[in-house]
Amino acid sequence: MRAVDSTSEPVSRFASRLLETPALRALAALQKEEQALNVLRINGPQLLPVFTSLGLDVSRGWREPAALISRAIRGNVDRMMAAEISDLLSARLTFSFFPAVAGGRQAPARAKEELRALISRAAAHPVARSALAGSLAAALSDIIEKYIPQAWERKKYLYVEITRVQRLALSPADLSDLTRFVVLVRPAAYLSITPGETVDKDAGYAPLQEQYLSKILPGIASQARSLPGALLNLGLRSTLAFPGAGSVEAVCRLGAIMSMRGRALSPAVVVDRGADTPDKSWFNVQRRNARWHGLDGRMLDELYTIAAENGW
Amino acid sequence: MRKVGEALEAVVVVAIILVLVHTLLDDYSILAGWSVRGRSWIIWAGLGFDLFFTVEFLTRFYLALSNRQGVKYFFRERGWIDFLASIPLLLLNSLPHALALLAGAGLVSGLGSFLNVLKVIKAVRIARILRLLRVVKLFRGIRYARSPMAQGHVSTITTIAVSILVLWTLGASVMEGVGIIPGIEGPFSQGQVLRAAAITEAGPQPAALAQRAAAIAAVDATILVVRSQGGPVVWSRYAPAYYGEYFLPGDYGYLQSGGVEVFFDERPLAVSVAREGIVFFVAVVLTVLAFLFVYAPRFALQISDPIHVMRRGMAESDYNLEVKIPRERAEDDVFELAALYNSVYLPLKDRLGNEGRGPAPALKIDDLQDLADKS
Repeated sequence: MRAVDSTSEPVSRFASRLLETPALRALAALQKEEQALNVLRINGPQLLPVFTSLGLDVSRGWREPAALISRAIRGNVDRMMAAEISDLLSARLTFSFFPAVAGGRQAPARAKEELRALISRAAAHPVARSALAGSLAAALSDIIEKYIPQAWERKKYLYVEITRVQRLALSPADLSDLTRFVVLVRPAAYLSITPGETVDKDAGYAPLQEQYLSKILPGIASQARSLPGALLNLGLRSTLAFPGAGSVEAVCRLGAIMSMRGRALSPAVVVDRGADTPDKSWFNVQRRNARWHGLDGRMLDELYTIAAENGW
Repeated sequence: MRKVGEALEAVVVVAIILVLVHTLLDDYSILAGWSVRGRSWIIWAGLGFDLFFTVEFLTRFYLALSNRQGVKYFFRERGWIDFLASIPLLLLNSLPHALALLAGAGLVSGLGSFLNVLKVIKAVRIARILRLLRVVKLFRGIRYARSPMAQGHVSTITTIAVSILVLWTLGASVMEGVGIIPGIEGPFSQGQVLRAAAITEAGPQPAALAQRAAAIAAVDATILVVRSQGGPVVWSRYAPAYYGEYFLPGDYGYLQSGGVEVFFDERPLAVSVAREGIVFFVAVVLTVLAFLFVYAPRFALQISDPIHVMRRGMAESDYNLEVKIPRERAEDDVFELAALYNSVYLPLKDRLGNEGRGPAPALKIDDLQDLADKS
């Protein structure tokens, strides 16, 4: 039996193949990681034969080989995620909303790179990485574009909250872009959370306090100088519970919902006979848990109605 | 070995479908007046099917007995249908017909039980339709076909309905046989006896006999041939070649009275039975198809599908789809349960899922072992 070797070729190959299995293929990189690490965490003791097949030392139990494989999985996911972020920033995030929220000026050239750096920092932090899983999945999917134009046509709660209460004069496309930005900045709010010995997968979804956000904002803004602090703050404030002590901007509430939805997105899900559609089911459950998760119940009501009307 | 089993099962399924077509053609050939050649094929094919299903039943039963599952196979897995639709049909129907065809034997008119036996056989033959239940699993496109609960339920209710129809037909045949219900065969054979006696009254002279036979045959289309006993034919409705082409053993009856032999056409009786048979067959097929294609999807929609969704939701932590509740069925017990599942269980599950468990792995341990072996 070989000693534990962090550069073991079979382990790396195993991690790579594991992430490409049909069960995970349709998921975003961080969702794949979450699933793969879960199976190691939950089934560790039963996986000793697997570890042995990979030539790993199992004489001291399953945790060491599992940690080695987890590291290899994270390494693979980092590479996959880098490609996803590049794709996202080059094709799906245009900063078209920027003039409307920054006094008419265009987004600086450095904006995308600074956002990439912020996301990369989040990816390297255990708690923020957990938050990034839902955010990236939502940003990579079409879920934001699906709902906003529908809400604009309805001109009900979501439309009124964005245009009249928050006073954002944005087209549906620009609002989609802004929501995607909010969703991507959101994990940065967890960068200053000290992870415990084991990172709770839900740590990245726990509501934060307004005072705490006020404290961390300058630090985050200093690392993304081309982006207005108010804009970054929208992303951070999407972690506030609603209704909470103060008011939370509508786009932040929408960003929070979309991040949570992204976490549960499973593009390959097969809808069984007799089952409702995935979006409708999810929004309906969240309507009932809105207070629990600090989400806007009325916004969830409207998104649920849109999902029901469109068979999503 | 498994592939051989699947191939054999496919052969059985094809045979089940073909035997149903054969059952219909068997009656239709009589109704349409097919020639001896065509009907002989039907008889031989029937013998082939019955032999095939007899061997199949005996094999299944033997294997079940070998595994000490004989009672389970016969009663719970509907082995009794396999039995009913094989050995009795072989012994009472196809084999005697085939032997009669080989021997060229006819029937003696006036044997009252013939028609009742035929009806009993035809009723038992309907049991073949129940074999359709085995074909159900092939229809993967049908909404309920993959639900064992729906399959079991629909099989049971279909078996009950068809069994009642078959048993009622058997009972009616028995009642006809013992005279509780008047049948058509009694008056038919009594009429033949009377007409044979009337022809005999002409005396042994061939010319007078022929004249008398022709006169009576003009009003009774079932009289085929009249001849003096041991002597020549004195009157015939058709040319000899016609009998060879259109009459099988069993299509004609024979009576002897006062030195005269009279041959009667029994086909009108067979046509009557065949017509009843087709009507009964179609009624049973429609009943079975209605259960399979109308009732079963409703059962799936209203019972097994919601249960399936709830079972998955409870067993798999990453399966969180709600049960779709039709408004008009919202007060059904199943959908009231589903409403609780949607409104109480799933939200609680969501909260628990956000307290540290995270989504359950979509991966299985076996997947990982396979990957490790390849790496």
